[in-house]
Amino acid sequence: MSHLKVKVDQKLKDEESLASNVGHQKIYSKEAKGRFATLRIWAVFALLGLFYGLPWLQWDGRQAVLLDLPARKFHIFGLTLWPQDFIFLAFLLIIAGMALFFFTTLAGRLWCGYACPQTVWTEVFIWIERWVEGDRNKQMKLDKAPMSAKKFRIKFTKHAGWIIFSAFTGFIFVSYFTPLNDLAHNLFIFELGAWEVFWIFFYGLATYGNAGWMREQVCMYMCPYARFQSTMFDNDTLIVAYDEKRGDPRGGRKKDSDYKAEGLGSCIDCHLCVQVCPTGIDIREGLQYECIGCSACIDVCDDVMEKMNYDKGLIKYTTQNNVDGKPTKLFRPRIAVYGLIMLGLVLTFIYLMAARVPLHLDILRDRNAIFRETNEGLIENVYTIKLVNMDEEAHEFLLTVDGLEGLNMELEQEKIVAQGGEILDLPVRLQIDEADLKQRSTPVFFHFQSTDKDGLMIEGETRFLGPRQ
Amino acid sequence: MSELKNNKNDLSHVQKIIIILWLSFVMAGIATGVFFSVIDPEALRGCVTFPVMSRMGVYTVGFLLFWLLTAASSLLTSYFLRGK
Repeated sequence: MSHLKVKVDQKLKDEESLASNVGHQKIYSKEAKGRFATLRIWAVFALLGLFYGLPWLQWDGRQAVLLDLPARKFHIFGLTLWPQDFIFLAFLLIIAGMALFFFTTLAGRLWCGYACPQTVWTEVFIWIERWVEGDRNKQMKLDKAPMSAKKFRIKFTKHAGWIIFSAFTGFIFVSYFTPLNDLAHNLFIFELGAWEVFWIFFYGLATYGNAGWMREQVCMYMCPYARFQSTMFDNDTLIVAYDEKRGDPRGGRKKDSDYKAEGLGSCIDCHLCVQVCPTGIDIREGLQYECIGCSACIDVCDDVMEKMNYDKGLIKYTTQNNVDGKPTKLFRPRIAVYGLIMLGLVLTFIYLMAARVPLHLDILRDRNAIFRETNEGLIENVYTIKLVNMDEEAHEFLLTVDGLEGLNMELEQEKIVAQGGEILDLPVRLQIDEADLKQRSTPVFFHFQSTDKDGLMIEGETRFLGPRQ
Repeated sequence: MSELKNNKNDLSHVQKIIIILWLSFVMAGIATGVFFSVIDPEALRGCVTFPVMSRMGVYTVGFLLFWLLTAASSLLTSYFLRGK
């Protein structure tokens, strides 16, 4: 278990510290510039670029990534997945979950700080807000000011910007399910389907609410990951921490003064680390569960240290062991276990994908009669075979049956040809001389073997029923 | 959790409702995915009577019904966990 003390601090040490932030006070975070802020901007552009860009990509004459729910097919570039392939999706989700465990143990809340949609979209909403309302001080002043025509105009512009961006986000979201071209066309002739409109509004509203209004509250009260991530932490996990030994006692001083002689540490108590914090905590109070590891405080503190001609890294990415003066171990049992499980899952997934046969078979027995006797005195069973060709191309198949000596198969079709994406219904009659039947119920096997593609085959089991022996 | 009691970190009603709605939303999403990957709405025709709707419509209504169910379950659980 983790030995980290997660403080839940109730003291309001100063006006800016919102250690007991419960959503009653709005957080105005100051813009931080620096290494990690730049990294996050890159992450925002990469991830949102992917989200907004993918639906525009074409592949083989259709949208490259299209989760075609109405047709019950997922197109991902050259691959087409059917509902029968649900296991792959489940596998991917489990792998993603395991990766989250692995990276959390290794590097803490890397996900929260750089990759979580909540962080990424909030970042864009904050950009819009800063662009319209100005920096932190201007925002606070504007909110304190009484309502006026100017204030209304500014607020109106901000919300209009947010809403337009949200609506576009909802539109792009739905274009993963309905082709973007159709959606755009229908939008311009005002003939969008009711369900599409519903989902555009739903997703747009969620974006607007979460990234515009809720922000850090989502991380603090709604996010399940934020709640349980601390159980994956150990003393070697990367955390954002303030170097108390070096920083305390904190206090203001003149630049170039001999602060050590004055009995002070490196922290000049400028409170910038509190001002930039998107969750409104004071990192100097120790690790707190509200900290999403965004490292805005590192950026701003490094800047201050540079201006003061002090060493950087008063607040930095470090580990609890490092803080305590012990060595940090990168490889540890927890990392090995998570890593091995993840590796195993990934290898299994790759194997399953490689071994995936784009065929699916359903064998239904005739419901009306268990068996019947033909005019020639043979015992007959009737089946309907549903053969699903999940491949993009058409294939011809050879059908054989075994499991019983002397079994005769009658097919209506001469040739079994399934077009790409076709579900073929094949009525099949199996007949046998009663003398060849050893028991009342015998397993029989149908084999489909493609005549035009090596290795494309599928087998299905059913039962042949006869009279009581 | 005990140290969270009776202080400013107690959740407000709005926060509780949002938590209930959000987590039940996630569960409803998973349930919808699993349910409709096994069952094709078109195949339900004839077994169940429902108004003529596109698959997209059935998915949406299915999701909302799942959400109603999961939210109701969470709401009742949270209500009864309050104690007397």
